[in-house]
Amino acid sequence: MGQTSEVTEELRAAFKDSMIEVKAPRERRIFMRIKKVAFQETVKRLINDFGFRHLSTITGVDLGDQVEVIYHFAREGAIELSVGVALPKNTLSISTVSGLMPAASVYEREVHEFLGVSFEGNPNLSPLVLPEGWPKNVYPLRKERTFEELRQIGATK
Amino acid sequence: MGYGSTVKVPFGPQHPALKEPENFLFEVDGDIVVNVTPRIGYVHRGIEKALELRSYIQDLYLAERICGICSHAHTTCYTQGIEELLGVEAPPRAKYIRTIIAELERLHSHSLWVGVAAHEVGFDTLFMYTWRDREAVMELLEAISGNRVHYAMNTIGGVRRDISAEKTDKIRSSLDFFEKRVQEYLHVIRTEESFLKRTAGVGLLKKQEALDFCAVGPTLRASGVKNDVRADDPYAAYGEIPFEVIVDDECDVLGRTVVRCKEMLESINIVRYALDKMPDGSTRVRVPMAVPAGEAVSRVEAPRGELIHYAKSNGTTKPERYKVRSPTLANIPALCKTLVGAHLADIPIILAGIDPCFSCMDRMVFVDVAKDRNWVWTMQQLKRNTSR
Repeated sequence: MGQTSEVTEELRAAFKDSMIEVKAPRERRIFMRIKKVAFQETVKRLINDFGFRHLSTITGVDLGDQVEVIYHFAREGAIELSVGVALPKNTLSISTVSGLMPAASVYEREVHEFLGVSFEGNPNLSPLVLPEGWPKNVYPLRKERTFEELRQIGATK
Repeated sequence: MGYGSTVKVPFGPQHPALKEPENFLFEVDGDIVVNVTPRIGYVHRGIEKALELRSYIQDLYLAERICGICSHAHTTCYTQGIEELLGVEAPPRAKYIRTIIAELERLHSHSLWVGVAAHEVGFDTLFMYTWRDREAVMELLEAISGNRVHYAMNTIGGVRRDISAEKTDKIRSSLDFFEKRVQEYLHVIRTEESFLKRTAGVGLLKKQEALDFCAVGPTLRASGVKNDVRADDPYAAYGEIPFEVIVDDECDVLGRTVVRCKEMLESINIVRYALDKMPDGSTRVRVPMAVPAGEAVSRVEAPRGELIHYAKSNGTTKPERYKVRSPTLANIPALCKTLVGAHLADIPIILAGIDPCFSCMDRMVFVDVAKDRNWVWTMQQLKRNTSR
């Protein structure tokens, strides 16, 4: 756990203002929760100061009245850092990181499509995966959507 | 040669025989690609949602069916993640068996790819040889697991079948045969002019571009980046097995072919080593049905590159959220970058270069924006009209 816990402590110190929690459940895995305000700045520093230059993917999770967006970064030495930002459902938006990491664009589109999060500044949030003509505001990975309902919508497309 | 005006060419999505259709809208000037817009999801089955609705043990079988080529990569990633949440570890022998199956899977996947690549550049002799030889590996997988494709070897807490001593002998002798064949492919792809002319310098992806676009797997390694989850973030028995991470700095389709061929030789050595050192003992531990609340990120090196799963549990028998990102999606941004500036005729082999599933190229609809007419080419017509 040597390097992993060292990096965890460095992260804790560097982002103490925006940090909600940080933990390293095992070697090469760090989970960090931050506030939305400092998001873009945090990502910039993670890339430039900490070397997390690889974005593995972005996960969206429906938490009930919030949607959590989790960015899975990796760096050399294979520490996989998951950075979570919880967004209230009434203002479901966060600034894009596609300007900092071009690969983010495709993952942002996916989270947008499946959970309705808008990524401000991403010039292209057009549908990527769901069929043509999929109704607006039907986000399949929201908990209130049943599989049966989605199947019926899909069958008409 | 540019004509100063562009034509949009939709590429894909449907093919009745192959898997994973994709659609790429190409904007071409003359026969040079100037812009690419991908549209995926034609075989989207809602697996992430379905995983939330089923128990962990049912999800194991669903995870196996995410992919028909790298099913073992998905179940390895899945079981590791769930084992981490449960706080259990597969027994050492199970970890070796997972590794052996993973490398046999890489062998059949990479040799399948070499065949597809050969076919796409019009070198069908090599295609026939690789797919014939690949049968040796498929037979091994069938002999071990009972299945050629969905081996169902993994379970939460270990593996479902052991590898007996007599199967070990069969694996060794088949690998001896296969190793000679792979050496032959390496010789052919480096010396056969008809292959070199279609692959050397085609589909360039520079090192910095590959890093910037977060490419993964052989695509990344053929652009000179030493990155492999097996070595960097060891899982199963990889931490105990010496092997070389193959890199190549050619940055083109030829480089991607060389990397995959050399990786097959490494895979053969990994399997041999694992068979020699495989510890005795049990192959699985029993695990409870309910998984305590928590979250885990699980990564494996699938044949096409980094595969990542994210699991969030809530203390019940079903996951709260399960996220899968397969390597093909990770390589789409880099692929689009690579395609810009390419010749129309090179699209099939460049697309094949990242080893996506191949169905996207069954037919093309051509739309002449200026004249407002469109027509369809079959795969055969496409080949006839684009062969150089």
